[in-house]
Amino acid sequence: MKMKKIFLLFFLPALLVGCTTWLDVNKDPNNPTDVPMTLLLPTIEINAAYTLAPGQGLGEDLAVYTHQVSTREAANVYNADGNEFYLNQAWNSMYITTLQNLDNVIVKADASNAPYYSGIGKILKAYMFSQFVDVFGDIPFSQANKKASDGILYPKFDKSADIYPLLIALLDSGIVDMKKPVAAITPGADDLIFGGSAKSWIKTANTIKLKLLIQTRLVGDKAKNLAAINTFLTATPATELIGKTSEGFMFPYSSVRTPDQRHPAYPATYEATQKTDDMSPWFYEILKGKNPLFSGIIDPRIPYYFYNQMDPKATAGNDGNSFEYRDGGFVSIYFGSNGPDNGRAQDKSQTVYGIYPCGGRYDQGDAQVVSATSGTGAAPYRFLTYADRLFLEAEVIQAGGGDATAKLTSAITEAFKLVDYVAGKANGSQSIPVLAGSSNATDYINAIIGLYTAGSAEKKMEIIMTQKWISSFGSSIDQYTDYRRTGYPVLFDPNNAVSVTPPIGGDPSRTTGSDPAVNVSCPRGFPRSLPWAITNELNVNKNAPAEKSDLTSPYVFWDLKK
Amino acid sequence: MRKLTFLLTCLFLVGVGLVNAQSRSVSGSVFSADDGQPVIGATVKVKGTTVGTITDTDGKFRINVPASGKNLLISFVGMKTIEVEAKNDVVIKLEADAKQMDEVVVTAVGIKRSQKSLGYAASTMAPEDALNKSQPDFLKELQGNVAGVDVRSSQGTPGAATRINIRGNSSFFGDNEPLIIVDGVPIGNDQVATTSQTSGGGAYSDGFSSIDPNDIATMTVLKGSAAAALYGSRASNGVIIIKTKSGNVGGMKKKLEVTLNSSWSTESIANLPDYQNLYGAGSNFSYSNANGSWGAKFGTLDSIPLQNSDWKKYYPKSFPSSGNIAYKAQPNNVKDLFKTGLVAENSINLAGGNGKSAFNVTLSNLDQTGYVPNSSYGRTSISVGGSSELANGLTIRGSVSFTNTKQLGSQFGENQVSGASSSFARALFLARNWDIAGQPYETPTGLPISTSNAQYDNPLWDFQHNTVNTNVDRVMSNFSAEYKILDWLSASYQLGSSIYSLDRKEIIDIGSRAAGGKGDIKTDIYRHAEFESNFLLTAQKDLFDDNFSVKFILGHNLNDQNTTRQANDGAEISVPGIYSLTNTKTQTVLEDAITQRRLVGVFGDLTLGYKNYVFLNVSGRNDWSSTLPIANRSYFYPAVSGSFIFSDALDIKSDLFSIGKIRAGWAKVGNDASAYSLVNTYGVLTPFNGQATASVGSASKDPNLQPEFTQEVELGTMLEFFKRRLAFDFTWYNKISTNQIGSISLPASSGFSSYLTNFGKIQNTGVELDATAKVIDNRDFKWSFHYTFTKNKNTVLELANGVERIQLNGVLDNISPYLEKGMPFGYLRGTVNYRDAQGNLLIDPKTGLLIPDPNQKMVGDPNPDYKMGLGTTVTYKNFFLSAHFDMTKGGDIYSVTVNTLLGRGVTQDTQDREHTWVIPGYYGDANTGKPILDASGNKIANTIQVTTNDLYFGNSFAINGQTEFSVYDATVYRFRELTFGYDFNKKLLAKTPFGSATISFSAYNLWFYAPNIPKHTNFDPETNSYGSTSTQGIELSAAPSTRRLGVNLKLTF
Repeated sequence: MKMKKIFLLFFLPALLVGCTTWLDVNKDPNNPTDVPMTLLLPTIEINAAYTLAPGQGLGEDLAVYTHQVSTREAANVYNADGNEFYLNQAWNSMYITTLQNLDNVIVKADASNAPYYSGIGKILKAYMFSQFVDVFGDIPFSQANKKASDGILYPKFDKSADIYPLLIALLDSGIVDMKKPVAAITPGADDLIFGGSAKSWIKTANTIKLKLLIQTRLVGDKAKNLAAINTFLTATPATELIGKTSEGFMFPYSSVRTPDQRHPAYPATYEATQKTDDMSPWFYEILKGKNPLFSGIIDPRIPYYFYNQMDPKATAGNDGNSFEYRDGGFVSIYFGSNGPDNGRAQDKSQTVYGIYPCGGRYDQGDAQVVSATSGTGAAPYRFLTYADRLFLEAEVIQAGGGDATAKLTSAITEAFKLVDYVAGKANGSQSIPVLAGSSNATDYINAIIGLYTAGSAEKKMEIIMTQKWISSFGSSIDQYTDYRRTGYPVLFDPNNAVSVTPPIGGDPSRTTGSDPAVNVSCPRGFPRSLPWAITNELNVNKNAPAEKSDLTSPYVFWDLKK
Repeated sequence: MRKLTFLLTCLFLVGVGLVNAQSRSVSGSVFSADDGQPVIGATVKVKGTTVGTITDTDGKFRINVPASGKNLLISFVGMKTIEVEAKNDVVIKLEADAKQMDEVVVTAVGIKRSQKSLGYAASTMAPEDALNKSQPDFLKELQGNVAGVDVRSSQGTPGAATRINIRGNSSFFGDNEPLIIVDGVPIGNDQVATTSQTSGGGAYSDGFSSIDPNDIATMTVLKGSAAAALYGSRASNGVIIIKTKSGNVGGMKKKLEVTLNSSWSTESIANLPDYQNLYGAGSNFSYSNANGSWGAKFGTLDSIPLQNSDWKKYYPKSFPSSGNIAYKAQPNNVKDLFKTGLVAENSINLAGGNGKSAFNVTLSNLDQTGYVPNSSYGRTSISVGGSSELANGLTIRGSVSFTNTKQLGSQFGENQVSGASSSFARALFLARNWDIAGQPYETPTGLPISTSNAQYDNPLWDFQHNTVNTNVDRVMSNFSAEYKILDWLSASYQLGSSIYSLDRKEIIDIGSRAAGGKGDIKTDIYRHAEFESNFLLTAQKDLFDDNFSVKFILGHNLNDQNTTRQANDGAEISVPGIYSLTNTKTQTVLEDAITQRRLVGVFGDLTLGYKNYVFLNVSGRNDWSSTLPIANRSYFYPAVSGSFIFSDALDIKSDLFSIGKIRAGWAKVGNDASAYSLVNTYGVLTPFNGQATASVGSASKDPNLQPEFTQEVELGTMLEFFKRRLAFDFTWYNKISTNQIGSISLPASSGFSSYLTNFGKIQNTGVELDATAKVIDNRDFKWSFHYTFTKNKNTVLELANGVERIQLNGVLDNISPYLEKGMPFGYLRGTVNYRDAQGNLLIDPKTGLLIPDPNQKMVGDPNPDYKMGLGTTVTYKNFFLSAHFDMTKGGDIYSVTVNTLLGRGVTQDTQDREHTWVIPGYYGDANTGKPILDASGNKIANTIQVTTNDLYFGNSFAINGQTEFSVYDATVYRFRELTFGYDFNKKLLAKTPFGSATISFSAYNLWFYAPNIPKHTNFDPETNSYGSTSTQGIELSAAPSTRRLGVNLKLTF
């Protein structure tokens, strides 16, 4: 009897298993299998900006390639290869975080009759793909993000020329969606960019379309292309293009530190003690009127663009080292430098991004060593602005042989307004003067327009493109595109420079005239497209082409040299 | 009365029937010939009958000899059985038996088998050996002692994880560590990492470190699948079975025995680099406040400006008013950062019993401070166990153990990763004129001061302020019952649990270069509870005049695992010095997850024996796992093994040839998935601007996942010669794992980073040799050798159709471990330089330096070619001496330490620098990667001279170079251990309360030689940054390995 009891005791756990539900514990209690679109749309917009912005995405290296920033990283000698961190990170945040969520939103929107979600999805998708085509050329497009729907693990790469028309069609389809009547489900505050405004998205879509048309104006029949652009401009009502500073297509960052909602270049500059971005002396000298192009014309945007940590008169550096390039308070290094002072620590002395590019500090001449609280980081990332639109139109007028004086004047005026707009968003507690309409601004515009009027057709185009380049400081993708499709602005050429000399008397710690000339060289030519991401793409995609063997040969179909 | 009970018990134990009425009573005593001590529990049997008894605590016995009985057979495990005439007061001396081969080995699910019947390799370790050596990490003792086992240390700081791997990596993405079973309950050796060890994090400890080595009774290593098959799912990487003293108390009869074990040792860095002391900070022979020691020669400059004005600002009296300091070498500046660590370990073991009931208590305490200031490790453990045999024949056993470990250490990782601050960022690379240890490391308010606050945190400040503090509690409990139902049938049941709770705080203090100087606190609370239930029914019978033996086991197993984890991040410390989440400005939940999984298994195991020289074992198991889809959740796997003692079968034994055995085994082992691996999910992210956000998970999943299988064939032989004084044990195995559950890396353009599915095939094939030689085996003088050889070849045979390669772990963009068809497991793929078709380097005609190739290639294989261990023990009278050497041949390591020592120009390797170099190669075009040809189409040899500075700091061979030149062959020869001791003579101790006393001195990691590592770096290729994970061969400024010298005292009374 006792034995039976013991036996039962032994077998009890065995009997327990009789009920198979004991094993049904594999439903993930931690992560949802579905979420509403309202949670995905902000993620898409956040990552679209991260993919492109300096500090986090493609803009980090491209700001060096367009010679507005200098660095000691690989980009310094045009050597950001496919192993580059920023490049691989951008590739991931583009395809995985932005596009995969985007496709999910479009599918969900179509299934639940929410055309505005679908429209925003299509417009953003077209824009992001256009940026990638412009930077990389051939990219995965038709088979991209088809793992979930079609089981495609290894997308093929499509030709850049084949992708462009499809993007225009995607924009048109997005506009159709945005013009549909208001549906039951519409985006609101979850649309971080435009708060769900259908009108703003239509303006954005048309302006992107204008930009794509202009970017390809030299491909094939130039006259026909120009005619098509003008037809588009005439056919599109003014209310359907970006027409105000505040209507610009921008991602709004804020000053919240945790979780980080600041412009990514802000913590990389103001919070990181070891800084990677120096302000390019080439860019500085153009703004300062030291470059022959705008000789003697000082740009009043300098204190909004750069912040000088050094006192202009100080003889000792904040880091105890001598500098490669110093002009009073402005401290930097050259691109491709082999100078003896290139490697010196100057984190506490170097000039850093100001308020306009990343929400840093407006330079009121207080020469502080910057820290996390010197600025706010609340500057938007500017995808495409009203100023950009005006510069694009000025370019079209100029290309068509017309007089772009009025358009250029309004474009530069708008560029100043944009600086004020950003300063208004990003100002912490500084007293920042209004730029637009100030006498400095007016003088500057008059001086530039004077040069424009006097210049040859080529010079005029150079002035338009250079002004656009100055205005878009902080958003480098289109600058890189503009340079490769028009040849402007003229960029620093390390291979012909051999040696460069810092401003005489710029460094109070040295005897005047003793600043050593700096040798610069770069074994590579200007990369006419970026290499593809190796770690996250080429290393694992069997259908990917081999890495581009020579980045100096023209690659994207609209390239001037193609 | 007590004696009678005892006797009756003994009678029962040996299965004796009734006492014959015509019998006569015979008494006697049994002693050991070796030391003259009484033998307790020896079996005394009347020859030709079933009558028998066992000896008592004094070695005495009394037996009733039937009229038919003439002689007594006296036997005891490990001693020669002898036959004596059954007469009164007989005194028997038993001699040790070198010939017997009946060592009992604990095998899967606790089944005991004789060594003879095993068809696979199994090794048992005696923990007593390790306890004489002041070794805080017991797992390290397996290194070179057990063939087939690869043990790797990680960092040289207290408590850092040890990786253990048996017969290679059989799973693409599992941790590939063996299953560790403690008293029947599986415990994970998992390392809980709060922060990625690429960008920071501590030298985290492993799960095994919370097992008290003082309570370990035996440790058995089951290497192959045939041995481990019954454990099923988790055993494809072998099993380590640990039986604790408390959990396995036997029916011993002895008075209270107290054993005290104490050890004290010192710990220091095994080898610092040989620094050059001719040149200070700067570049190209000119001084500047730089990190590299490529500057002006000492003696050419009187003074230099103080590198950081904060020193003078806060400590005006300690620095000259000029603000300048002397420019001179600081030969000991690295050495002075560190101190001598101390290890103290004390344990008390109490054991006793009355033959029916027994108990064991082990109390122990370990206190270790490392050579890094403010690093320590402590372990306190209490284990209690007892057993009782009830009157109805039921034996009940129970044990509970509690262990608390506390680990304190600093943060590591790759300092160059954004937001990181490694305590070893500069520690080993200090510019030769920096006097870090001689100058204050912090301001009066506790902010760091270094030569460049922007680039690194002063290591001394880092050690004190940026810390990882981990507290682990492990509670293990165990209950078991055994009952002999019939003469041939018995049943046993075991229920055990292991609860592992980890509580961690990682602090980045205010002022650090990490966390924007604002301070940051991470907390991590992890709890893993595992319950295991095993029921076994065993039938055993000898048939046909005992020529055949049959043993059949039917078993049932349940396993239930629950894991919870909550991790939080508090950003910006508000009030300095208070490290609580409530004292931070904003808090973010990093993780809050519950994981549950369950498994049910049913198994059968049949062993057939013929005449004790042929054995066949067949087993099968079916599992039902909660982690697989319902349709695929049930899976079956079989195993067959056999052994043949041909020396017995063919009767070819002689003094020359003692034992010959061959064995063979084949097994298939199934494995399930991780929990929640079937359905794609979304991750809910932190809100942005008040908007809740979520993102589709980057890992896509396969709803039709199937179990994965590993198949292994092993063949082995055991040959012993010269009365067992020379013994060889050789094994060959071939293990193929198919249908692996793993993540295929996807290109980002697919929309996902990975796809978790079944794919691929991986092979491990190798040999293991274990040889022992007792060169001298006299009573007073013994000298023996033990040699092990391990070779494993780990090849990826297939990946999924069309998959070219898979990233095993994303370490850095310029180097990571990969899987690829035809390549070794986890080979290192990284950046390389352009070469011409003949393999010559291409040289940049503008700089004379190398040209990076944008495509990555294989740059190393971290898997060693082979490993050898050689141990020797000499015993002379009461003295003993043992030494252990081992070597690892091959295996590559990417070393940031070596790369930086060379690149910073701080070691004697780069001291010879006052001339230039020409890198052999041909000019190449940096844009195309093709050689530049002269007018007649020939390549142009490089003639550009470069400085030593550029050679190691430009785009060439160390810092800023491609990773191919920072990967080194990790071959290393090591004098791992030396122990010398004395066993106090028992006669000497007779008048003391002590039963035995042993004193020993030990040294660990005395010397090593790594021929292919740059000489003066003295880098130990055994260090790595990824602890017990399967990412090996990568070192990112890890803490160097240690050397330990200690004394150990063991007393029993």
